[in-house]
Amino acid sequence: MDDPTYTDLFTHFQQRLSSAGGESHRAAHLAGAATIIAEHPALMAGELVVPPHFGQHQQWGAILPLLGRKGITIREAGSPASVADAPAGLSGAELAIAETGSVLLAQNMLEARVVSMLTLTHFVLVSEDKLVPMLDDAAVILQQLTRAGSDQRHYMSFVTGPSRTADIERTLTIGVQGPKTLCVILVADEEEAKP
Amino acid sequence: MTKNYKVLSPQQVVSEETATPTNENQPFEERLEEGLRNDNMHRALERFAPSWRVSRRDVFASEEADYGSDFSFEHMRATLHKAKDYAIEHQAELIAQFKAQAEAAGAIIYEARTAEDANRYIYEVCQRKGIDLIVKSKTMVSEETELNHYLEARNIKAVETDLGEWVAQLAHERPSHMVMPIIHKTRQQVGAVLTEALGREISRENVAEQVAVIRIEHRKSFLNAGMGISGANALIAESGTVMMLTNEGNGRLVTSLPPVHVVMAGYDKLIGTFAEAMTQLRLLARSATGQQSTSYTTFITGPATPGKEVHIVLVDNGRSEMRADPHFKEALRCIRCAACANICPSYQQVGGHAFGYIYSGAIGLVLTPFHHGLEADAGPQSLCVSCNACETVCPVEIPLPNLILDVRSRVVEAKGLPWLKKVIFGAMARPRLFDLAVRLFSLAQLPVTRGSNYISIRSLGLLGKLPGVRALAKLARWRSLPAFATQPLRDRVKGQLSPSLHGTTSQAITERPGITVCYFAGCMIDRLFPEMGEAAIKVLRACGVQVTFPQKQNCCGLIALNSGDRADCVIMARQTITMLEQALAESKADYIVGATTSCVVTLTQDYIRLFEDLQQQGWLWRARALAEKVMDFASFMDHVLLANGTKLPVRKSDSKGDNVIVTYHDSCQSINCLGLRSEARHIIQDMLGLELREMPQSDVCCGFGGSTSIEHGEVSERIMNNKLNNAESTGATVLVADNPGCLMHLRGGVDASRRRIRVLHLAQLIAEQLE
Repeated sequence: MDDPTYTDLFTHFQQRLSSAGGESHRAAHLAGAATIIAEHPALMAGELVVPPHFGQHQQWGAILPLLGRKGITIREAGSPASVADAPAGLSGAELAIAETGSVLLAQNMLEARVVSMLTLTHFVLVSEDKLVPMLDDAAVILQQLTRAGSDQRHYMSFVTGPSRTADIERTLTIGVQGPKTLCVILVADEEEAKP
Repeated sequence: MTKNYKVLSPQQVVSEETATPTNENQPFEERLEEGLRNDNMHRALERFAPSWRVSRRDVFASEEADYGSDFSFEHMRATLHKAKDYAIEHQAELIAQFKAQAEAAGAIIYEARTAEDANRYIYEVCQRKGIDLIVKSKTMVSEETELNHYLEARNIKAVETDLGEWVAQLAHERPSHMVMPIIHKTRQQVGAVLTEALGREISRENVAEQVAVIRIEHRKSFLNAGMGISGANALIAESGTVMMLTNEGNGRLVTSLPPVHVVMAGYDKLIGTFAEAMTQLRLLARSATGQQSTSYTTFITGPATPGKEVHIVLVDNGRSEMRADPHFKEALRCIRCAACANICPSYQQVGGHAFGYIYSGAIGLVLTPFHHGLEADAGPQSLCVSCNACETVCPVEIPLPNLILDVRSRVVEAKGLPWLKKVIFGAMARPRLFDLAVRLFSLAQLPVTRGSNYISIRSLGLLGKLPGVRALAKLARWRSLPAFATQPLRDRVKGQLSPSLHGTTSQAITERPGITVCYFAGCMIDRLFPEMGEAAIKVLRACGVQVTFPQKQNCCGLIALNSGDRADCVIMARQTITMLEQALAESKADYIVGATTSCVVTLTQDYIRLFEDLQQQGWLWRARALAEKVMDFASFMDHVLLANGTKLPVRKSDSKGDNVIVTYHDSCQSINCLGLRSEARHIIQDMLGLELREMPQSDVCCGFGGSTSIEHGEVSERIMNNKLNNAESTGATVLVADNPGCLMHLRGGVDASRRRIRVLHLAQLIAEQLE
């Protein structure tokens, strides 16, 4: 986490995402990420929507009990209607791209996808070693993830900041159909899940 | 394939004529008039254009600063150009690859030859699945095929979910811009449209509230629709993936929530690899809006969940015809960023409903004949001022200005030239007849000009009320017309008037040994502004250059070419090439120099393209050889003379009593075609030691555009007034340019509006400053 090259890369990512209107944080471990989420204004109501089976997620599942201990109620996403305009949602991303300040979401399940489409504030966890410098690095990953097979990802998105429009008089308005706030957390060592 | 679904009886099909009308059904003249009268749109576009230019330039500059010259706009667009060309050349191979991959991932591919074919396929899917509500995210192809109209006539409701597209749909309009569909509307108008459509009062002022209302309204449609229709920004062959860019988030909902997803995409969207698609991503958002990236870039490879259907409708609808055409196939590279609309001076004045048909902007003028017929383009194409700015910002290097001229010549071939142009160009192609006609006219105009340099509304006086003269008076109202010189340059250099140019009987104005140039005047300088030519010759000679002047020179053909009259242009091109070859042989000149950049572009670029096109190898070879010798005045001064140590004999500053402050207009042909920018500035500031004050938007067209200023006077007048206001805002006393077309236009505008600023050719400014 103190690697200067990495710090440069993260700063670049942060700048690009910020100019697209998104927030970003670095967390040393999952507990740090849980604190960032729990203390975020979007958690005022104390509820967080997560993709189905998120608790079993090899990489991110361990964050749920940590959030629970902070008094957050976890709800697994169901139908799109049940997720619509929920105050806060959480997903895990495959990749973060410094060049554009984007994260790559790659979920086939509709119920998982709607978390990033319909909640008002969307939190995204990305492993720090998945931060790549350029879109070209992402192209290689996209190529791998679309390869035919049982793990083929049929639906992927680069998400770069919140949903936006400038269609009316070119007035920038945040949060049209998608989230109004995007908060990306780069997590250094997800194994060290102790408070 | 058996049709195991219900087909609507004829009675159930609403006639397509009675389905919602849209504005492209209006005649062009009405659309143009509405565009010109829409002050809100006009203001919005005039605010948008300069800010877009700045954000676009900055975003590309920051990419280059961060990552080096491989990420410069020029480098990236060359890369994408190559990738798209590969896809166009290897289309069959890429289709096969895309189909195989997408089908293996579970998608259903349908290849539609025509618009009707594509619409019918989608309708049949609706019938088979019993779908009567569709949500759509932006797809220009569905606009192209008029899908909404088709479905509406068959009782299927298709709701646009892109905010701007939806407002346009509610207002029964077409988007007027490919990226910003309702840039022609104000917030008050949006509020009124929403209020009427929803039957309850919606704020006319608060944009955030309007957006919130749209979010709520669309939520219902998203959850209830049986089908989502989207477009595609790219079809990636290596994986069978559809790539789609959106900002609002509606695209992901449209493609996720309904059980059926239909992608509509032209064959031109094919691209080989993810790596190439990334270059497209870099160029698309930055060219469109100056954003680093859009909010959402989605990659769909077949259905993601069990039970989901993904149909990909590949639309031809004229694309094969484009692909078979050696020139127009270049337009298939288009990635629909609309930069060519954003930078277009005419578009800014009239908006996308007039400047285009369903596709708007420069690319719209090029695509329309193939998708919607030549007739649909006859009016819109006439609005192009041939300023070439679009080509400089196109992220795939489409030669838009030339393609628009090709469309223009097709229109002329189909409809014929207006009689007046036919007479004029016919005469111009016959040098002796032209010479005689101009000389007669220069005498005939005397009662009106009374010896002045203008035909102005003042000098016309009561004559302007005569029926035959009224048209002329209308033209001169806002821009005084130049008078023909009673003595053209060709006569003056013969030494009859100006003693400093004596010794011209052999058409050689001999000075000292050194560089010899053959001076090419161009009609405008020869016949209207000989004083500009005299100034250029004076400056060249003051620098020790020998100047020769071939008396046989005639029009280069540019005016005919710009009006779509290629036949007469070819005659004049051959005359000019032959004449200049002969002149070079006789005078042993090192260069051919012209002080009119438009003609220089014709000599060095247009001829080559013309003869390439006509496959006349002999002439092509001669045109190329000639082009090597031709140079514009500013480049010759800066790169040949001053760069090699020639000193301008400039008056000492203390002897300059006059207060000269210069502002410089970059003529379109100079900056966009010849790439001139520093040359004139270097001469003005460093060589002449004069103060130069840059005007805002110095590189935006002055509005002349050849015959456009006659056919669409109001468009031309507005662009000109912007230019003159910008020039005057600097406080400069002299407005300088290096192309006589602009100078004629701007001088006429200054005279008609009685402004004070002097308008001079760069050569005249230098000549004034000589010892």
